[in-house]
Amino acid sequence: MNNKSHTILAIETSCDETSVALLRVSGNKVEIRHHETATQIPIHARYGGVVPEVAARTHVAEVVSLLERAGIFLSKKLSTVDAIAVTRGPGLSTALRVGIEAARTLAFSTGKPLIGVNHLEGHLASSWLVPENRNQWKFPILALLVSGGHTELVLMKDFGKYRIIGRTRDDAAGEAFDKSAKLMGLAYPGGPLISKYAAQFEKTKQKSRFTLPRPMINDPSLDMSFSGLKTAVRQTWEGISNEERSNESIIAEMAWSIQDAICDVLVQKTQRAIQKHHPVAVTVVGGVSANKELQKRMAEMIQTQTNILFHVPAIGLHTDNAAMIAAAGSWRFSRNAFDRWQTIDAKPEWNL
Amino acid sequence: MSRLVTIVFPNGKKKTQKVPQAEAWNAIIDLIYPEIKPGSIVTLSGPLGAGKTTCVQHLAKTLGGKKLIQSPTFALMRVIPVADNRHGIKRLIHVDAYRIEHDEELRVLDLDEEVTDGKSICVLEWPENVQSWIQKNQTRCIAIYIKV
Ligand SMILES: Nc1ncnc2c1ncn2[C@@H]1O[C@H](COP(=O)(O)OP(=O)(O)OP(=O)(O)O)[C@@H](O)[C@H]1O
Ligand SMILES: [Mg+2]
Repeated sequence: MNNKSHTILAIETSCDETSVALLRVSGNKVEIRHHETATQIPIHARYGGVVPEVAARTHVAEVVSLLERAGIFLSKKLSTVDAIAVTRGPGLSTALRVGIEAARTLAFSTGKPLIGVNHLEGHLASSWLVPENRNQWKFPILALLVSGGHTELVLMKDFGKYRIIGRTRDDAAGEAFDKSAKLMGLAYPGGPLISKYAAQFEKTKQKSRFTLPRPMINDPSLDMSFSGLKTAVRQTWEGISNEERSNESIIAEMAWSIQDAICDVLVQKTQRAIQKHHPVAVTVVGGVSANKELQKRMAEMIQTQTNILFHVPAIGLHTDNAAMIAAAGSWRFSRNAFDRWQTIDAKPEWNL
Repeated sequence: MSRLVTIVFPNGKKKTQKVPQAEAWNAIIDLIYPEIKPGSIVTLSGPLGAGKTTCVQHLAKTLGGKKLIQSPTFALMRVIPVADNRHGIKRLIHVDAYRIEHDEELRVLDLDEEVTDGKSICVLEWPENVQSWIQKNQTRCIAIYIKV
């Protein structure tokens, strides 16, 4: 174990987001010194005035501009960095390679150690960035990783020791939110809209007239399935009149049922996993962990279980970001798990 | 709710068949299997939830794939190792253009390179979103249209 205080520079470019962060770790004190994600910066500032014709997922201009904004090209700032962490996968190889090339170049030119990080481990580490969680951090921890592209139950036995014990067999939970919204004609991204409408219906304290299926909820495995929700939402939605479909209260009612179905599956499968694997704590990470109803129901379920902690999701760090990559990088730094700049490469299909 | 499926082969020949349930896609796979070879592109058109990914799951199994096929909508692309000795296919490149708005965005997938390595085929959901790439590769395309 390497307990030395350290500062990690992290770069994330695995798919849609480009993000750069600086994280300082000394003892139990962890501080995000700098953190920026490209989509949160006005487009002209991001590309230095010249907006490329096709901006989506090109990353190159964004990485350079984010590193510059982090002060990395000033030797004084760069000298405070102890290691460079970068996402190696899973993700799109061309996108991953942009981050890797940047990190490799920095590692080569400064002689600082390089750390290849698994994007999914980054999500797991996002929860560790919350001080209250970190203070009670003990393994095994059960993590529900839920986002647009992932839905997995992960048993964390130690830093670096993870096992996927359940997963979606088709669509991710975040995808189920977005596609259900799309079927109802709501704008993209539909996930947050579904929860907004659902909250509206919740306030009426009524019972929803719509019933949607919960596939595999009684299956003894910890696997899940959400693709059938699309068919069910389509049929249910097409089953009501045009006039009703544009009525806000009906939209809210339907949204409530969609959220209810998705949360039910996630919470019940998590409960099943607790009973099977007896973790010390449970955490929820990934984009869907920002969903308030999911947080509330997860907390309620965990209260009914004896002696299990709930590590609350890290606010603002649900979706892809570099701060979580820095956190996972710090875990690896402590284990001296470094990569060589000469040989590091993208791992598009990397599993935990 | 069964699905009505039409296959259009590269030579223009058409075939329409009913797929009564999610487990019955093998009938369609049996029709396209003899026609695929390394470099082939199978496009899957149909509305949200039509069964495009389900069809890919069956195709992967037929090609000897062991990996679980999840929806690639957010990942955009996934590479599935397969082991088909008859056609010499070792990789199934599963692309989902649902989130792609413009052909140019396909560039980040390096598809031209990936598909022409002599041991891969490509299956692509939502080809409507990348029409000019499909047109460019028309002669290698088997098109599957799914009606709900
Ligand atoms: N032939 C069929 N008959 C009835 N149901 C089917 C059939 N094929 C697939 N399904 C069901 O339809 C649902 C949606 O399937 P799937 O996710 O494969 O659709 P998709 O076309 O890939 O959707 P998307 O547009 O989101 O990519 C699943 O529940 C699946 O089991
Ligand atoms: Mg699909």
